[in-house]
Amino acid sequence: MRRVGLGVLGALLLAAPFWVWNPYYVHILIMAGIFTILALSLNLLLGYTGQLSLGHAAFFGIGAYTSALLALRLDWPAWAGFVAAVLVAGLAGYGVGKVSLKLRGAYFVLVTISFAGVIYLVSVNWMELTNGPLGLPGVPPFEVAVAGLFELSFRSKPAFYYLVLGVAALAYLVCRRLVSSRIGRAFIALRENEALAESVGIDGTRYLVLAAVVSAAMAGAAGSLYAHYTRFVSPEVFLFTYTVTMVIMVVAGGKGTLAGPVVGAVLFTVLPEALREVTSWQWQMLLYGVLLILTVFFLPKGVVPALETWLRERRAIRP
Amino acid sequence: MRHTRIAGILLSAILVGGLAVPAGWAQQDPVKIGVIQPLSGPVAASGNYVRMGTEIARDWINARGGVLGRQIQLVIEDNKSDPKEAASAAEKLIVRDKVPAIMGAWGSSMTLAVMPKLEEYGVPMVVETSSAASITKKGNPWVFRISPPSEMEALGLGKYLGDLGVKRADFLAVNTDWGRGAVAAFGDILKKRGANVGAVEFMEQAATDMSAQITKIRGTGGDTLFLTTSVEQITLVLKQGQEQRLGRKIVTTGGSSSPDQLVRQAGAAAEGTYHILFFLPWFPEAMPDGKLAKAFVDEWTKRGHPFAGLTEGFRGHDGILTIVEAIRTAGKAEAKAIQAALWKVSLMGVNGPIKFAKDGPPGKESGQSQPSIFVVQIKGGKVTLPAFMAKK
Amino acid sequence: MEEFLQHILNGLILGGTYALLGIGLTLIFGIMNVVNFAHGEFYTLGAYTTFLFLALLETNFFLALLGAVASGILLGAICERLLLRPLLGESIDTTMLVMIGVWIAMQNAELTLWGGVAKSIDHPFPQPPLTLGPLSVAPLRLFVLGAAVLLIAGSHLLIHRTRLGRAMRATFQDRETAALMGVDIHRIHTVTFAFGSGLAAGAGALLGPVFVVYPAMGDPAALKAFVVVILGGLGNFAGATLGGLILGIAEELGAGYISSGYRDAVGFAIIILVLLLRPSGLFARAERVG
Repeated sequence: MRRVGLGVLGALLLAAPFWVWNPYYVHILIMAGIFTILALSLNLLLGYTGQLSLGHAAFFGIGAYTSALLALRLDWPAWAGFVAAVLVAGLAGYGVGKVSLKLRGAYFVLVTISFAGVIYLVSVNWMELTNGPLGLPGVPPFEVAVAGLFELSFRSKPAFYYLVLGVAALAYLVCRRLVSSRIGRAFIALRENEALAESVGIDGTRYLVLAAVVSAAMAGAAGSLYAHYTRFVSPEVFLFTYTVTMVIMVVAGGKGTLAGPVVGAVLFTVLPEALREVTSWQWQMLLYGVLLILTVFFLPKGVVPALETWLRERRAIRP
Repeated sequence: MRHTRIAGILLSAILVGGLAVPAGWAQQDPVKIGVIQPLSGPVAASGNYVRMGTEIARDWINARGGVLGRQIQLVIEDNKSDPKEAASAAEKLIVRDKVPAIMGAWGSSMTLAVMPKLEEYGVPMVVETSSAASITKKGNPWVFRISPPSEMEALGLGKYLGDLGVKRADFLAVNTDWGRGAVAAFGDILKKRGANVGAVEFMEQAATDMSAQITKIRGTGGDTLFLTTSVEQITLVLKQGQEQRLGRKIVTTGGSSSPDQLVRQAGAAAEGTYHILFFLPWFPEAMPDGKLAKAFVDEWTKRGHPFAGLTEGFRGHDGILTIVEAIRTAGKAEAKAIQAALWKVSLMGVNGPIKFAKDGPPGKESGQSQPSIFVVQIKGGKVTLPAFMAKK
Repeated sequence: MEEFLQHILNGLILGGTYALLGIGLTLIFGIMNVVNFAHGEFYTLGAYTTFLFLALLETNFFLALLGAVASGILLGAICERLLLRPLLGESIDTTMLVMIGVWIAMQNAELTLWGGVAKSIDHPFPQPPLTLGPLSVAPLRLFVLGAAVLLIAGSHLLIHRTRLGRAMRATFQDRETAALMGVDIHRIHTVTFAFGSGLAAGAGALLGPVFVVYPAMGDPAALKAFVVVILGGLGNFAGATLGGLILGIAEELGAGYISSGYRDAVGFAIIILVLLLRPSGLFARAERVG
């Protein structure tokens, strides 16, 4: 039953550019895909290790800037920039994790906020490297080419959609593999009771740093995709609102579940666009805030856990 | 029984109406024009003023019978001062609402984020506020700008530098594309004219306390401070400058300083300051088209919009007017035809003549109009034309 | 030297209001374990209420300040009763998310209500600055500093000299034990949130006339408050007070002598340094990791 459902969902997603006739909706799907990767990456830290990073936009931005700068300044092909973005963001994750994961709880939260704040200010003020607030226009579209052999362009929307879908699926699989492994069990043990976990020989900081690296690398991948899709990068990518959006997606979708961030990302990418459709601009953000409050209020554990409970209860009632 | 009959009558009425109305609408389907502005977030005030200006243009044009015998309709979207949102808004306007032309998107980074979408779908955009030079230099043939890039503004001010008596200037600017661009452009002109540039200081867009920057500037011994930021921060800088007895000649750039608001909110601290503007609502008769300017000021006041917003609001009016003129010239509301027609447009806006010259790499030039530039001074709690402006 | 003294004076005045913001946040953080993202919105609320009293109801300036504090207390209490109490026992992320929702909703309600155009608040103090040798300072700013000191001192008395304050401190140290000893935790939470929000609104009311009032003004203020909280240590009242002053002065000196573009980075740099060297804040006696 579950397998059939997943198969149908997969087929629908694969065929999306054919049944979603409107390029605007494909655009929303692409944005949803990019935010799915981000939400998955944040969930790894927040959901599985219990560490709330409120500086996650920094890794997204680092990925975006790495890709954009390599393409514009050194003429690197997009795929190489993508790989570099993943590596650089992962490295940044290692650095931040190594330094800040000595701390826990609210203190960790504040270090990550500060890190993102500093990176933002660097991107604004280091004119020579980042072109400051003027941003980097003209990032080339995503193309893979081997001279004379083959050429693969993701310039068109449906093509880019498949690229994002592919990376999102990969991110999902990485998360699933990681979470169901011994490492994932260590994450959860650390989240539930760190002292106990350490007493049975789990090196807390080491595992948390690992989670931070994987998480940051995934966010960097999303940043690279974003840069090549919007083809314009400016310091706004580091803004706190992006982190807040990711947190909303993870927590409202259901943290610590695999499907939660995916559902949350799709829901909260579509919601603002749907509000564009149904109300005028005066009410959009106000309604967004109110809907968010209502979601948390009625589904404090998130959409996916609530759905699971509901399904389980229904099954239990049935004879 | 009776109920069924009433229901039947109602139903047929609806059916008939439903069939009749679209048929009636078909020939006067309104012409849609997209508008992207920052309507929420830190620069919401400016975005809303521009929106009010677009609405005046819409109502005037519709009262005169619209364009091509059709009314015009504005589809207004909020870009939340975020480039990602600006790109999404453009996508929505072009694909969902099928607008053949857009006006926007206020800030340069928002405009730059929208530009790839214009190329992708082939829809022209009239840029009403953004000042970054790169906008018309990128080789995007769908961009037509009616606001001056900082370089043009600096050049415009250049001829008054002697009258202003600038020998040694400091800069304080908002740390954005706009502020950085203005510092570079005005710095260039000053150096070319033999003036010295002292301290160059920046402030974050949301910063409220600039006393540290002011203390530093106070120590340079310059005679003039060039100030580039929103009216809110200008107010704060003037107040805090007065608190610290800064004692400089102050020139604000960028044209969004709303001197009235400064007089009201900064009081004596605004006394003697100079402001570069693109519209003089206090002396509409001094504008290139005095009658139009006067009518715009009257309409704005009649609608109860704050007078201080006029120096932003006119951009919205001029932008919509430009697009409508292009639609009229093109003879049809289609993106490609409007783009071609924009090159032929020559009209009188509230700011003055609007006519696009080619800018950027050959073959895919963007359009850049040369707007009129004015300088005013606050004197005795009033906005005045300095003597050197009045004689020219 | 003159410039240095002026920087210190500016920083002191700025720091006083940072402290006011930080105290409210640190209490809510420490006692209720809620990351209050809406804190900046109560600051904005205070500023707009002052504007409402003065411009539309035309009351006395000082009455308007009181009205602003009252509005913060009232809305804070409502917010706690309506939104936070039902979520008692949920994880810190869940309550944080609710407060994110409140933040977005309140800011945009203000935008819809007042429009995006900044408002200026009139005040009865003379415009020309007072000069003390090479230093100059506006009378209004001196009043703001004085009022901030009064509010902080009053809060200190409330927390350290009253039964209510003792119950609050007990709850902070050990919620379960406090409950067993007969402390009404629900009531303490409502009081704490209302109190913290009232202080934030007070800061907004005081700074409204100094700066200008607009819907997004709470965002940078909230960020400063977070910095102050971490400087002082979670739930540490005296720490937040000192943290505010230190932040104000450090920012001034950083902008004055390093680079104004990196002004806000000073605060972040301090946070990172403090957390790496003294993870429990500058002034914590014992580790209090929540």
